[in-house]
Amino acid sequence: MTGAGPNPGPFPGPVPDVDLSRVWTGVAAEVWRRRPGRAERLAAWLLRSPGLARALVITPSLLLGWLIATVVVLAAGVIATWGTGTPYVALFAPAVAGAGIAYAYGPGLDPAWELAQSTAVSGRMVLLVRALAVFGLNAAAGLVASAATGAAAAVTFGWLVPMTAVCALALATATVTRSANAGVAAGLSGWVIAVLAGRAIAGQLTAAITDSALLLPYLLFAAVCGAIAWYVTRIPRGAS
Amino acid sequence: MNIELDDLTRRFGKTYAVAGVTMEAGPGVFGLLGPNGAGKTSLLRMMATVLPPTSGRLQLLGRDPGSYGPRREIRRRLGYLPQNLGYYPGFTVVEFVEYFALLKDMPPGQVPRAVARAVEQVGLGDKARAKLRTLSGGMLRRAGIAQAIVNDPELLLLDEPTAGLDPEQRVSFRAMLRGLGEHATVVVSTHLVEDVGAACSQVSLMDAGKIVFHGTPAELVARGEGSGAAGDAPLERGYSAALAAAR
Repeated sequence: MTGAGPNPGPFPGPVPDVDLSRVWTGVAAEVWRRRPGRAERLAAWLLRSPGLARALVITPSLLLGWLIATVVVLAAGVIATWGTGTPYVALFAPAVAGAGIAYAYGPGLDPAWELAQSTAVSGRMVLLVRALAVFGLNAAAGLVASAATGAAAAVTFGWLVPMTAVCALALATATVTRSANAGVAAGLSGWVIAVLAGRAIAGQLTAAITDSALLLPYLLFAAVCGAIAWYVTRIPRGAS
Repeated sequence: MNIELDDLTRRFGKTYAVAGVTMEAGPGVFGLLGPNGAGKTSLLRMMATVLPPTSGRLQLLGRDPGSYGPRREIRRRLGYLPQNLGYYPGFTVVEFVEYFALLKDMPPGQVPRAVARAVEQVGLGDKARAKLRTLSGGMLRRAGIAQAIVNDPELLLLDEPTAGLDPEQRVSFRAMLRGLGEHATVVVSTHLVEDVGAACSQVSLMDAGKIVFHGTPAELVARGEGSGAAGDAPLERGYSAALAAAR
């Protein structure tokens, strides 16, 4: 095959051969090229890694449907708080965030897990970036919802530390069991137990988020769970 | 040498999946044959850096995958097709291949062209924008091969790559393998001896975690001659004879 070249006159000479396969590859590359969205471009710029950015934007608990569900739950909490005076947003937010973290990363929800493990982008970096993004987004949404209820500062901000512990528990369980559902179950159960235990001891539903004596245990618990998740996602031992 | 293994073992509990394998491989297509449970997949997973060895020495592309930096460099230049290819049902073929190109740290500017080339190479051009959930098993396998070759790897590891391919696709795939083997080390784990005969310059036969034969396909054929071993084709008879001699 020959391609078009400059035409020097009425009797053009031979024109150079064109590698049609190469041309087609170039055309296909342009036609099939995916245009990353704004969030992915921003993440690629911040993380200095387009691969990590792509891994971040496909996080199941950062997809639109999940985000809408989060907003709906928190909005229901705001309405319930207005109606009853009980700070439901502060009670819901840690549970919602824990579920999101459990669905952020792991072999239980990534069908191409093994393949991804053989690539240059570290699995731990993906875990870290996804967990931080889900945590940050849930914290921001929870704070907005909590502020909308007009609750006292102790309630508005008090749930952030328990949320850290619940998220760490959900993450550790999800990575140890290799199941996102197990992570959600552990996070939710842990939080319900903490809330009910606080109520039983102090006689009020919000004791689990307003009692400052619990801050250190929450942080310690979060650190232990975080360490477990970190340990489980290390390069495994030579025998298992 | 792109692959250097010295007394490599991998243990699962008390069972040795790989029991002291020593081998070297440079550029070329290298076949790994053996019955089910012989240890082929475990050996391939160790070479893919997803499964660390229990003991022994493993060097890939002149580097030790036990350390973070060298492992990352190996993974940039590695292509891997696992036996059970997981995929994202909502991704298109191009999105799937592009995702792994990005995870392999390819320069973003080179990715679209590399993806197009890989997709065309496996003959999925007409399905480039089809969702993976709509593809047949053979097409999914080809999408998996496309992601493995997208970075033009120096070390390509394929576990049962021809499973699900029809005869015509198998023939063109073998031709592709021969082309790739001109500059890269291609390791193909398979239980189909005809794949080895048609595409591989070297073949190793594994049984019970050990390599019980290593040579050319012609040498494997010679093993079967006059042995009375079972098989419909010369390579199959060689395979059976080598296995019988090892047991």
